[in-house]
Amino acid sequence: MKVDPDKCIACKRCFPYCPMGRIHSFKEHESIPGRIYIEIDQEACTDCGMCFRADICPVKALYQPQEEWPREVRGILSNPLIEFKGSQVPGRGTEEMKTTDVKGTFPPGVVGIAIELGRPGVGAYFRDVEIVAMELMGADIGYEMAEENPVTHFMSDKTTGKLRDDVLGEKATSAIIEGICKLEKLSEAIRALQRASEKIESVFTVAVITKVTPDGGVPTKPILEEMGVFYSINTKNNIGIGEPFFDFYGDNN
Amino acid sequence: MTHSLHRRGSYDELKDDFVVLGCPATGVNKPGSAPKTQKFLSICYKVGPINLGDMKTGNIYNTTMEDILSRVTDSTIVECTFDNRDKIVELLKELDRDRPGISVTISGVTDVVEQCMQEAGLGHIHSLEYSLGTWGKTEKLPDYEILKTVTMCGHAMIASDLVRKMVRDVKRGRRTVRECVVELAVIRRIKRFPSFRKVRFALQNRR
Repeated sequence: MKVDPDKCIACKRCFPYCPMGRIHSFKEHESIPGRIYIEIDQEACTDCGMCFRADICPVKALYQPQEEWPREVRGILSNPLIEFKGSQVPGRGTEEMKTTDVKGTFPPGVVGIAIELGRPGVGAYFRDVEIVAMELMGADIGYEMAEENPVTHFMSDKTTGKLRDDVLGEKATSAIIEGICKLEKLSEAIRALQRASEKIESVFTVAVITKVTPDGGVPTKPILEEMGVFYSINTKNNIGIGEPFFDFYGDNN
Repeated sequence: MTHSLHRRGSYDELKDDFVVLGCPATGVNKPGSAPKTQKFLSICYKVGPINLGDMKTGNIYNTTMEDILSRVTDSTIVECTFDNRDKIVELLKELDRDRPGISVTISGVTDVVEQCMQEAGLGHIHSLEYSLGTWGKTEKLPDYEILKTVTMCGHAMIASDLVRKMVRDVKRGRRTVRECVVELAVIRRIKRFPSFRKVRFALQNRR
């Protein structure tokens, strides 16, 4: 996001709307004596577009230029209105568990593990994303990256989690690593993420997806409890009414 | 992807906080799904959500239901927010009786959602996703009271500074909590937005 120096009146109304915090500074206009305008720190800005969409600039000085590669990855990951062509899903990720009832994405014995870096309000450079992805892949637990996820798309080697070198210096409001592994490997995956958490400069949230058993059991729960890992009282819950229904057990259950 | 899953708060603050998503499946039922999504939205609207909308068009605080419905496409993901468990039971019964055909996900306190499923006759939750919390340099996060509001937006679009400014504005009598909540819903555009009750908790606790 940028500011047109000829329009900006330095009123500061855009300041509190930035999810990345105070990344603005005052500049003296080069050709109008005494005129002050606001400049946005382009290194810190993730091109999420929030200040623009908030429509609080009284003189319409904010604008989002068309960015070239690799800067354009900031908007792809950070602006929820931009649709990633690989998944055709607006936002940063995939359909993940939202459609598992019809796609069978997470069958019994398989867990989905999603790691979202940067949120809320911290942001993450792709070099941190790479650290987490490589730690997970280095654990050799058979973690398979989700194909249609934007972060997977930016990898140069999906088997190691290595990202393209030209995106490592780019930053996103949030970036999500998504994939699956076998249920019995969940504890090893969590330990890998615990190691990664000590190596990065940002934050990440961890989410674990599982198919609920026909009698209402949650297979991940005893593993998390045995490890002493926090899990939330609130969950995202697929209620299983999508059609056609994926036959998870081969008997239409 | 994880959006509303990472909302923070106590059981009492979250037990009446429900985000309902309707989503067609790429590669399965997405082509021709727009009428199904419209049907899902119409059922939700009839039950009485506190907010409703879609990612690109906006929500009922910044446009009309007719506009939202008319602009639904096959790739639209829609969301509704409810602040009442009885309405969730009613919604689930309606969706079971008149299935729209797209997948439906509800974020909420697990035990409460499971109870609602049982009361509606839908059996157990199909699949669920736990949050294991936030790891790494957590000292960079805003304090917990601010987190309770900013985590209501799954895309992390609500700035901590904006919440702090709203707290100051409410304290000084410049605007009401309701006015703040409506502004958040309007600027955020999408509908995952908060129950008044939850934001009221968050803002008033800062006083």
